[in-house]
Amino acid sequence: MNVNEEKMQEVLKKRGIEAAMSEAERSQIAPPPEGVNKLMDIYYVLKNTVDMEIPYWYNRVWWENDGDIINIRRAKAFAAALSHATPNILPYEKLVMQKTKNVRGAFPFPWVTASFFNAQAEALMTEVDAPAESEADRVSIVGAGGGNVTESYGNIISIAKKFGMRKEDIPVLVKASEPWDGCSVEELSTKLAEYTPEYNLHKNLMDNVVCMFDSYAIPQGREVINYYYPLQYGWDGIIKICEKGIHDTMGEAGTDGILGMSRGYYYLATKIMAEGMSKWCSNYAKKAEQLASFETDPEIKKNYEEIAGVMAHIAHKPPETFRQALQLTLACHLAVVNEDPQSGQSIGRLGQVLQPFYEKDIEDKVSTDEEVLDLLQYYRIKITEIECFASAGVTGGVLSGNTFNNLSLGGLTKDGLSAVTPLEYLIVEAGMRTKTTQPTLSVLYDEKLPEDFLMKCANCTKLGMGYPAWMNNQDGIGFMMMNYRSEGMTLEDARAWCLGGCLESAPGCFMPLTYNGKVTWIPGGAGPTSGTGVHFIGIPKVLELVLNNGFDKRTGKQVLPAHNKKLDSMQAITDQWQAYLRKIIEVVNKVNNLQMDVWRKHNMPVVQSMLKPDCLVKGQHLGNMGTRYNATINYESCGTVTFINSLAAIGKLVFDEKKYTLDQLTDAMWHNFGFETAYDTQVFSPDFRKATAEAPKYERIFADCINAPKYGNADWEADKYLKWYEDVMFPMTREYHSYYGKELYMCQISVSTHGPQGFITLATPDGRLAGTTYSDGSMSAAAGTDKNGIYAIFESATVYDHSTQQNSQMNLKLHPSAVKGIQGTRKLLDIVRAYMRKGGFHVQFNVVDSKTLRAAQKKPENYRDLMVRVAGFTQYWCEIGKPIQDEVIYRTEYETV
Amino acid sequence: MSTQELKGIIFDIQAFSVHDGPGCRTNVFFAGCPLRCKWCANPENFAGRPHLLYADKVCKWSSGCRACTKICPRGGLIFQDDQQPIINWDVCNKCTTFECRPVCAASALKVCGKEYTVDDVMKILRRDFNHWGSEGGVTFTGGEPLLHYDFLLEVLKRCAAMQIHTAIETSGYAPMERFLNILKYINFAFIDVKNMDDKKHIEGTGVSHKIILENIAALKKSGWDGRLILRQPTIGGFNDSEENAQKLIDFMKKNNLYEINLLKFHRLGQTKWEQMGMKYAYAKTGDVSLEQLQKLQNMYLDNDIVCYVGDSTPF
Repeated sequence: MNVNEEKMQEVLKKRGIEAAMSEAERSQIAPPPEGVNKLMDIYYVLKNTVDMEIPYWYNRVWWENDGDIINIRRAKAFAAALSHATPNILPYEKLVMQKTKNVRGAFPFPWVTASFFNAQAEALMTEVDAPAESEADRVSIVGAGGGNVTESYGNIISIAKKFGMRKEDIPVLVKASEPWDGCSVEELSTKLAEYTPEYNLHKNLMDNVVCMFDSYAIPQGREVINYYYPLQYGWDGIIKICEKGIHDTMGEAGTDGILGMSRGYYYLATKIMAEGMSKWCSNYAKKAEQLASFETDPEIKKNYEEIAGVMAHIAHKPPETFRQALQLTLACHLAVVNEDPQSGQSIGRLGQVLQPFYEKDIEDKVSTDEEVLDLLQYYRIKITEIECFASAGVTGGVLSGNTFNNLSLGGLTKDGLSAVTPLEYLIVEAGMRTKTTQPTLSVLYDEKLPEDFLMKCANCTKLGMGYPAWMNNQDGIGFMMMNYRSEGMTLEDARAWCLGGCLESAPGCFMPLTYNGKVTWIPGGAGPTSGTGVHFIGIPKVLELVLNNGFDKRTGKQVLPAHNKKLDSMQAITDQWQAYLRKIIEVVNKVNNLQMDVWRKHNMPVVQSMLKPDCLVKGQHLGNMGTRYNATINYESCGTVTFINSLAAIGKLVFDEKKYTLDQLTDAMWHNFGFETAYDTQVFSPDFRKATAEAPKYERIFADCINAPKYGNADWEADKYLKWYEDVMFPMTREYHSYYGKELYMCQISVSTHGPQGFITLATPDGRLAGTTYSDGSMSAAAGTDKNGIYAIFESATVYDHSTQQNSQMNLKLHPSAVKGIQGTRKLLDIVRAYMRKGGFHVQFNVVDSKTLRAAQKKPENYRDLMVRVAGFTQYWCEIGKPIQDEVIYRTEYETV
Repeated sequence: MSTQELKGIIFDIQAFSVHDGPGCRTNVFFAGCPLRCKWCANPENFAGRPHLLYADKVCKWSSGCRACTKICPRGGLIFQDDQQPIINWDVCNKCTTFECRPVCAASALKVCGKEYTVDDVMKILRRDFNHWGSEGGVTFTGGEPLLHYDFLLEVLKRCAAMQIHTAIETSGYAPMERFLNILKYINFAFIDVKNMDDKKHIEGTGVSHKIILENIAALKKSGWDGRLILRQPTIGGFNDSEENAQKLIDFMKKNNLYEINLLKFHRLGQTKWEQMGMKYAYAKTGDVSLEQLQKLQNMYLDNDIVCYVGDSTPF
């Protein structure tokens, strides 16, 4: 209606109607700087590449120092790896450094897990000798997977169905893995785990995927990094702190007969590591200088010179500008994600951490908002480039290819006021201008936050990239106080919390940054991984095992000991489910504890242990509980709502109405309600059904199961089971202790495991068919079952107090027309606020219509930049697996006008 | 009749409605309508009582489902030669028991319309009140909410007591006294004026516009302090002429009305007409070009009448 727009405004004014600005006026988002576009174009065509440079140097120096104290040996090996990493700077880059010499690169950690490579050694070497495949194959692979190398082609060999490795690197991989045969974290802990009394049961659980993933697979992450020390002291300053530490503690146990002596080793290791960091930065300075020396384009030359200046400065001194500070945080971040296979290394509340630097630059007029915005967009690319190399299951199944480097916004300051800074507005704006999957943004929503900031965030959410997601700050603080009370957490420290990984509430603290003539208390992480416990347990599968006496019909294995109980009441079923779950947690927890204990003793973090308070003060690394808070290890579940709906169906049909016997119900389940299974049809979409000859027998019971009460409709008949479940899980998880000797607690995010764990689960009493995905997240309704609208889901979700658990997860899909215009932004914020007011912990939106998603599924090559929110993170549509794509499409779309 | 016994037939209560009044709202769709608009988007409401819908597109007959075979005691639903089930609408339109609905797992067989007590409705509104935000509220629409006069009046009184913002979307086709009584409790009203030519109005909707126009005029005279926006679903070949617009402008000026919302023709109702076994008029001719809509908008604006097109509204 642009033709009449002006006239319309005039008449509105004349009539005294408060007119909202038109969509056209509001949605003018400045394009990214030219350099960012160029770098994004490069990013889109690049493939995930495995590179052996870092493992080579790590290995070499590690074995050269055979026999050294492990903490020191670790530091020497990793410092050498970083100092030898070949710097790679692309023209137009303003921020530099990456994990490896490749832009989208990662590398294996054979010292953590080597069996995969050692087992494959022969096969890999054979592939090296195989002739290259045709070019035509190559093209088809590109379109389907974005940057993933799902199959070998040409001279590239696919590893873990995601990464490509050049053939000439394969012998290096094989050679580097060999010496770790039998002594990697994985193999050492497995040997010890065999001594646990029920190790066979553990093996059963893993083989049958009742539990997914070993802890060593990604031992770090799901935590918040802390940039304070480098920002305050620089590498030279940290080296000085370590030298003093060595002076004070080497050979000195104090009164601690177990760990007192470790302090000297820690400070020495940390000093070596800080020197390595400094060298790594210097190498980039030299590289930039060199590039500048022969660059003829004056603009690019100047760019290289600036980079050289920044890198040379931060190689030693604390930063003196915003750009230096941002570059330094990036260096820290990349070093940490390179010291262990990991995902979910969260950036934390960066806009609060860097505000003092930004503020001074603006005051001194050395920089403008536009220049800062440019840098923040370059920053987005750098973070998006971070890849994680783990096995195919972990990379595809858990991570869906995203490494969740979450950046949090908002929340409260140490003294309990809104923590929103001017820089955070720019971070949101940068996310609107440059649409990349990372860093994903999270708003720590608090009633105290300024309305214009919340509107800005809502405006960003509307654009359909899936960020920012919205988290309840008061729930987070409540959880902190509840969980870390025993470690003496104060309300002030509780306010420093934010998201580690996609949704893992992680403890933090405020540190006093002295800069620009004043002290600013900046928040950052203060605990080790807030994950890595028992993960992930498919609880609908556990129910299936209860109903089938511990036997897995899919695999033909007796997974859990037969209970031989008569399941003649709801109580009997839920009691047995609890008994099985307790057994699972007990068994899995012991094995995980061993995995993580071997990890912390043999592979303790050396960079992270430098950064996190209070390691540098205590003189202890992270494995020795150097951080301030250590009750961080969790139990992770998957399939909450599928489980809740299943209980509701059993409760109503078998015990309340007595319409069917339990045997009739389970008979229908084992026969997949008379439909062909997804295993046969290979279609995993939740609404695909193909009848078999048996179908007529099960048509009635199937309809009754489908029509039974479902979570998400404000129907107490279903919601009461959620309340029951949460009340049961709170104390149950706290019966078990982590390797830190602290109680576990519950984390309820599925990440992407609802795909694979749904795959191994037969039909469930709620009418879900065998092999299809579980419901997504913990609070989202099962696909297509929410019939009473968005407010009813909010009611259902908040029948319990969300601050009792680490998190909960609510994914919603909104049609773009529902949130059009400035009024639409207001309405989006209204929904967020409605849920937060009720105490909901998290809500995220996909603002996209299903038509677009279906079209993108057919022609991924035309939708290379389309992003969706999956389960706590944003990912490129074409880089996620088909079952999860189907699940997203099938989610109920609100307001389809 | 005591208020406890009052019943209203409602065919849907929709949360997070964002185009029918200010802010986020809950729409209450009443069943039944005295008009028979040929383009109606909710024809399932004509009846004013619960009745069957059959969504052939989600029916799983092609993947072998026969769950509804022989379930109907009146033979309303038959499978023949492995084809899609055939609904005998003569039988099914009279149905009150709906034995077939619970056996359908695909939600292809649905019952539209359910009896609510005032308490039932208030329970939902009180719940949703938590979620609307500061500007939102409830919008009564349909069907025709005025058909449920006693019930609606009681609901509105209860809303007023709870200070819930109320809106209505109505044809305005009701006895004047009832119309004015209801509107007393309404903060925000949309009233449809479908055609200024009465002959055409009767042709398109089955009723005369006389009562509607009189009601609007009376409402304005009554000193009502709510906000009134006229609505016109703009249907190609029916009311998209400049002549019609000019007459409506004259009417609005005379009654000191200055806001109108032209709604674009859409085919959302089409499948529903088919699900009920009826034919949909205007399927081919209903579209109005953007140019024509802008031309009409321009006419209103020239007369200092605010004219919103589609969902581009400032609320």
